[in-house]
Amino acid sequence: MENYTKYKLKTPEELSEVLAGADHLFVIACNKCFKEFESVEETDCEEFLKIAQEQGKTVTGSACIDFLCNKLQTEKKLAALIPEGTENVVVLSCGLGVQTVADLLPTQVFAACNTLNFRGHHGMALTKKACDACAQCYLNLTGGICPIVDCSKSLLNGQCGGAKNGKCEVDPNRDCAWEKIYRRLEKQGRLEEFLSHPVELRDYSKVDHKVISDYVKEVREARFDGYYGGVHPAERKALAENAPLCRFPEPETVVIPLSQHTGKPAEPVVSVGDSVKVGQLLGKADGYISASVHSSVSGTVVAIEPRLHPVSGKPSPAVVIRSDGKDTLDESVTPRGTLESLTPDDLYNIVRDSGIVGMGGATFPTAVKLKPGKPIDAVLLNGCECEPLITADHKVLLQYADEIIFGLQAILKAVDAKRGVIVIEDNKPDAIALMQEKTEGLENIEVAAARTKYPQGAEKMLIKRVLGRQVPSGGLPADVGAVVCNVSTAKAISDAIQLGMPLIERVVSVTGERIKNPGNFIVKIGTNVRDLIEYCGGITADNAIVKIGGPMMGLVQSDLDVPILKGANGVIAVDPDPTQEMPCIKCGRCVDVCPMELTPLYFAKYADEGNFEGMRDRNVMDCIECKSCEYICSSKIPLLSKIRAGKAAVRGMK
Amino acid sequence: MLITKLKSREAIESLLGGTCFILNCHGCKELSFPVAEAEALEAELAAAGKVTGILTTDYVCNPENLQLRLEAHKNEIEEADAVLVLSCGVGVQTVAECFPEKKVLAGCDTYRLPGTQGVTPLEVDCGQCGECYLNLTGGICPITACSKSLLNGQCGGAKNGKCEVDPEMDCGWERIYRRLEALGRLDLLKVPTQLRNYSTDDEVYKQNG
Repeated sequence: MENYTKYKLKTPEELSEVLAGADHLFVIACNKCFKEFESVEETDCEEFLKIAQEQGKTVTGSACIDFLCNKLQTEKKLAALIPEGTENVVVLSCGLGVQTVADLLPTQVFAACNTLNFRGHHGMALTKKACDACAQCYLNLTGGICPIVDCSKSLLNGQCGGAKNGKCEVDPNRDCAWEKIYRRLEKQGRLEEFLSHPVELRDYSKVDHKVISDYVKEVREARFDGYYGGVHPAERKALAENAPLCRFPEPETVVIPLSQHTGKPAEPVVSVGDSVKVGQLLGKADGYISASVHSSVSGTVVAIEPRLHPVSGKPSPAVVIRSDGKDTLDESVTPRGTLESLTPDDLYNIVRDSGIVGMGGATFPTAVKLKPGKPIDAVLLNGCECEPLITADHKVLLQYADEIIFGLQAILKAVDAKRGVIVIEDNKPDAIALMQEKTEGLENIEVAAARTKYPQGAEKMLIKRVLGRQVPSGGLPADVGAVVCNVSTAKAISDAIQLGMPLIERVVSVTGERIKNPGNFIVKIGTNVRDLIEYCGGITADNAIVKIGGPMMGLVQSDLDVPILKGANGVIAVDPDPTQEMPCIKCGRCVDVCPMELTPLYFAKYADEGNFEGMRDRNVMDCIECKSCEYICSSKIPLLSKIRAGKAAVRGMK
Repeated sequence: MLITKLKSREAIESLLGGTCFILNCHGCKELSFPVAEAEALEAELAAAGKVTGILTTDYVCNPENLQLRLEAHKNEIEEADAVLVLSCGVGVQTVAECFPEKKVLAGCDTYRLPGTQGVTPLEVDCGQCGECYLNLTGGICPITACSKSLLNGQCGGAKNGKCEVDPEMDCGWERIYRRLEALGRLDLLKVPTQLRNYSTDDEVYKQNG
């Protein structure tokens, strides 16, 4: 096993000197980073406790903490940690952890370890030093062998002359780096270029304090902007951003599953052979958390049978309708009146009867949000669309600004809130400008531009960012006086009131590097995904992965004969990732990016061990499945599937 | 912890003779990656017909997964005169190891950031000196907080609490004094003079068993 030692406990003699006169100690030990994540805790803590006992010290307690240098998280843990009667705190960690704790506590903090000059910690180079970060990379001149790191004298201009038989004179176990460089360039036929290169000088001012400290400030601000964690995946929105919003041609057949939402499936109210019209009720909401489904075409019901469901991946009851191509409206589709004439209860009933669900992907029945049972002071309309590739909400914002504002006013009235905020990420300046123009003069509605950071569109992140409020663990937005709805949902609410049209169509982006002609379409619910892809010119690679939704949270589809549902904002075809899962190296990145401030690395470890109690105790149920941890994972561990398995097991425990 | 900045356009152009395959590493993008500059460079090179292919990926420093990912781009790399890698020095060396007979170019310069864990650089730094002084200094590191890494108090050059080397930096030893004062431990300043042991990495490892 490789030696990952980063710091070494001071000797008992050193410790006795350091701790002279200090007693009633509380011990904080870091669990270390960049090590094979086999054992959770390090042995140093026990070792120290033994020494402390031998030296007659009273210890008030001890704690082993992950990533002690993560100041934000350590601060939260420290508050509840240190018991009464503690006079001194002793820290076992590298110098970073000691300084972090010393910054946080008003008392003197003792360092019980010496930090060693560890070599790893960049990239996957765990135990070997591979880059000295000199800020003036010489690898171009040296065939990709680093003269700073590999030459023990860090010479820039060739051999020192001391090597013997290709070995370094400082350390005979080492190859002479300059000889290696010479051999490689010889192989590449670049000797002349190399030997005639002018003398290189190293500029030590490039890595001065100012350059680094300014950079640190900037990165920290971006990292903590709005809410803890988050990531910035490549946006790739240019693929579909400029494609106009078009209506997808009338489908010949639609497949409308009775379950397109969180909660119980709808109860079918039509039979095979029935003629149906656009907007006609097909299935009625069954219970409080459920949603009705309606016909998106006029035609004949040809089957009510299980069909492959794109979310569950299993057959699920669906109403299959052959369109007559006439698009005849059902008699029930009539305007429901003005906002002034409708009561909050009327609005609730209209939204419920129209089968409206959260269209950002969560598909929670919207009517339930309109009866929060708690005072609400702010309604946030989510126009962030933080998923890479997808541009559906962007198109909705540009095309249906008036309807969105009408929908927001309806929600504000239904929940009796005074303040509506339309939140749009700053990568959509045209939508921000348009909404600002449209809401000018409206006292109760404002537009907020949010700096792009995934998963901003998650409601808990949005509330933190815009209102500065923290939804409690296991809680709902209503617990902090907020309701969050997607902009497409607001547009659907507007249609339900102003036109009387239930939710029968939505805007879908068909995009990704492997879609021939990416575009944005108004698509009837129940339209076949394969038809949609064919219409866009098909998929350009045999091994492409198709997902419904975006690249982060979208669901992989192995069979394209599935329908577009209410929650489908995109269909994407992208290149597969051929990488293999490797062991966790405790790089700590997942902890740094988890917006819910959880510890995903433990979820992976515990899921592999079948330790679902451990996952529960680490609040796996708070995970919003944004996949930021999996995205950032340097070992390519499929964290999300492990987390989902854990959540399912924890649900089963209750 | 490492960050990368794109080399100057002139420097990159002078390196590129013929065609190239471009490899972007987004593994540490949360810390830094010159996304816009890299895209502009790639568009320009592509317009000039100099690009045989582009792969944007992450953790190029992981050789096993790098090999798997390069598989689909074998021909494009074969065809190119050079591989231009936009990553830290670890990534460039990993790619160079994969293609010992190919010209592998570094398009970026690499800087070191304080902190080691995660993707959030730290405000504090550790010089890994092997003989932690934090017990004597109220938890403020004299090696990294003083621009001269002095061990025994101020150099005398600070003005109004600011360092003479970088006037935007607080004097580390003044900070140490203030912290010790607040802790009531000014007595620590009376410890004997400290000497730093500059043993090599290997010697430190050996000394520490």
